Amino acid sequence: MVAVTGFLTLALAFLLAVYGLVAAFFALMLKAPVWIKSARIALLLIFPLVSISLVGLLLMLAGQHFELSYVYSVTSREMPLYLRLTALWGGQGGSLLFWSWLVAGFSLFFALRKWRTEADLLPWSLLLVFFTLSFFLMINVFFEMPFERFWLLPDGSRLLSLLPPSGAQLLVPADGQGLNPLLRHPGMIWHPPALYLGFIGFIIPFALAIGSLATGRHAQRWLEIARPWILMTWVFLSLGLVLGMRWAYDILGWGGYWGWDPVEVAALLPWLSATALLHTQILQERRDAFKRWNLVLVIVTFILVIFGAFITRSGVLSSVHTFSGSEIGLPLLIYAAVLTLTSLGLLIYRWRSLSASYEPEFGFNIETLTLFTNLVLLSILLICLLGMVYPLVSELITGTPITVGPAWYKRITGPLFIVLVLLVGVCPLAVWSGTNLIRMKKSLRTVLPLSALPLLAAWFVWGVRQWVVLVALCLVGFGILVMMMDYLRQVAAARHRQTGGLWYSLWAPFRGNLRRNGAALVHLGIILMAIGIIGIEGLQEEAQATLSIGETIDLSGITFRFEELEHSEDEGRLITEARLSISRNRQLIGMLYPRREIYSKMGLAITQPGLKSNLAVDLYAILVDWQPTTPNQAAFQIFYNPLVAWLWIGAGMLTLGVVLALLPVGSWKNRREKRPG
Amino acid sequence: MKKIGSTGSKRNRIKFIVGGGLFLTAVLFMVISATKATSEFFMTVQEVLDAENDLQGQSLRVSGAVIGDSIAYDASAGEVRFLIAHIPADKNLIKGAGGLNEVLHQAVNDPNNPHLAVFYRGSPPDMLRDEAQAILTGRLNDAGEFIAEELLLKCPSKYEEALPDQVGQ
Repeated sequence: MVAVTGFLTLALAFLLAVYGLVAAFFALMLKAPVWIKSARIALLLIFPLVSISLVGLLLMLAGQHFELSYVYSVTSREMPLYLRLTALWGGQGGSLLFWSWLVAGFSLFFALRKWRTEADLLPWSLLLVFFTLSFFLMINVFFEMPFERFWLLPDGSRLLSLLPPSGAQLLVPADGQGLNPLLRHPGMIWHPPALYLGFIGFIIPFALAIGSLATGRHAQRWLEIARPWILMTWVFLSLGLVLGMRWAYDILGWGGYWGWDPVEVAALLPWLSATALLHTQILQERRDAFKRWNLVLVIVTFILVIFGAFITRSGVLSSVHTFSGSEIGLPLLIYAAVLTLTSLGLLIYRWRSLSASYEPEFGFNIETLTLFTNLVLLSILLICLLGMVYPLVSELITGTPITVGPAWYKRITGPLFIVLVLLVGVCPLAVWSGTNLIRMKKSLRTVLPLSALPLLAAWFVWGVRQWVVLVALCLVGFGILVMMMDYLRQVAAARHRQTGGLWYSLWAPFRGNLRRNGAALVHLGIILMAIGIIGIEGLQEEAQATLSIGETIDLSGITFRFEELEHSEDEGRLITEARLSISRNRQLIGMLYPRREIYSKMGLAITQPGLKSNLAVDLYAILVDWQPTTPNQAAFQIFYNPLVAWLWIGAGMLTLGVVLALLPVGSWKNRREKRPG
Repeated sequence: MKKIGSTGSKRNRIKFIVGGGLFLTAVLFMVISATKATSEFFMTVQEVLDAENDLQGQSLRVSGAVIGDSIAYDASAGEVRFLIAHIPADKNLIKGAGGLNEVLHQAVNDPNNPHLAVFYRGSPPDMLRDEAQAILTGRLNDAGEFIAEELLLKCPSKYEEALPDQVGQ
């Protein structure tokens, strides 16, 4: 019954979405508010309906109803409850239902918000939202329906269908196939939902932008309404990407965190354009400029999100992230094409009316730095796009596809990311408009000599000789110092005003200008993440050896000793776990437990590294024995990954910064105090 | 804010264009040099064997079917040697021949199919087994052996699209 209910609510939601599309259209044609009201009621109903359907599927997953082909394909009896539930996004049908549920959730914004003077945006935004909802619900209902069940026909043949064919008996498999072992990881709980939120949230800014473009009004207001949603969605996208890095680091067992896999690149693309948008939206807010550019960036971001969905779900590429072949590639392409052409047409139509009288002045000021940041981010975006299409284009031209791999991406984007770190570092020194070098010179006198410290430390302590790494570390040191100076300057100003004690002054920068200092924390987070990336990309060391029990291998002054090997069985897995003791200068500093898990039913094995992490270095060991294990011999691959921990700490800092910048406290205060300027 | 006259505005704009242009030129230069240094030709085993002499030292990417019996791992030296059999690159051809799994199966079991010897320094990945699809990155050496720097393996998924056989109570 649950399966049928799940389907019916989904089908009803689809019909309501189509109705809403028609109602929004009538609202535009007839200019009658009653149609808007009706469309908004339809929108209010869709979310609960899709929720019922989603809960239905979750119940089937939790209750091990293997008669559902979706449940059968992604779960099995030995999987713990949290994995059975997260298998909701472990396969095509379920993850698309989850996707539609989020679209419906975000769409509620348009039904629940109190619209005032900007209410004329609403019909157009609703048109887009209903178009998107009907598209994805159509996919759920007609292409990837997760509620189909197995049936046994009287003649003995088997069939997949929602409702029982005549005379058929429900076929309940004893057990399911289970989730791909690589996905059986706590990362499965957070990484996919964070990314999905970080993708789908852009529908609100996008729909508002389309509303503004279509009506030719509220060129400034739409962005004000969209701002918190852009920020929130951006932070989810950032977190989703970092959680994916952490997951790869923990399970894929190659000692890395980012492989420039096409799907990773596809998820990075909207992040790059959204990051550019975060910066130029401030220029529009303060200077009434770059209206066209911000519209372009919002549109590009949303279309890149759909492009990413196409890459992952259509089967054009294959990687750990993709779902196996499916029929939804073409519909997705058509949907993306409609969006692209419509937005492009609207942009061209309104282009002239969006001109701005303001022109930024070239120099060391916030406007120029912001534009340069945009240029760097978009260069990286174009390079990533080039890397993805290069094999296809080169095949057309030369007949042989030429592929580009991680080495290509690293070599080109590496210097550009370093430039971004420099930009983040210098930004607190810049002022609005013109070029004010006094503040910069004063700060530089203290900061520049000090930023040589990480360079000296790297040269003498770690013996680093690669100039790229040295430059990068120098810039990182510089950035952190500039930020500290900036913070201390604000604290000193608060002390000067003598409005409170020391603690009050330390907190004062955040009270006074939460938005600016929230952004500063985000920048600090980015710099800390850069430290982690420099560590693993530039300073990683690696060794491999086959060891007998009691033998040792040395790497970077650390001795790894193979102590013992243990076999066990758990939840359908055969586990081989090795114990390695690690010591420095004959002093025991810890243990590593690398293991291999064989999922006997699937004949698949996964490698779980042993990891010991602190702020300075990660010691990371992989049990790579592949031939039948002899009782006292195993092969290991060992990594010495300096500074990686800062990648995760930086991501936390970045999140905190966005949360602070989103708190409404700052704006209340500003309104109350009516600060001059 | 400083007032900008029309000539000043023009000069200002030129500064932006020159600055941006210089930056983009540098990026373009990096793209070209990186592409020359790291891009790889994607070839089939047959194509590599046909043009063996012209390809020496060239960075290549080859796709083929792993022949399970040929896998030899020297654990003490940390070296793996194995053979891959030719499979066609054309997606439609593979589809016509009954799908990738079928093509891999036939490629391995057909003794007349051309083979390429592969050498890899490192431990063999979990998925290096019979009838896996291998995508290798590396170069040919003088002996015509393919020195792989990177192994990418895809295993035939045995349970895809299958309806369940067993029926519970």
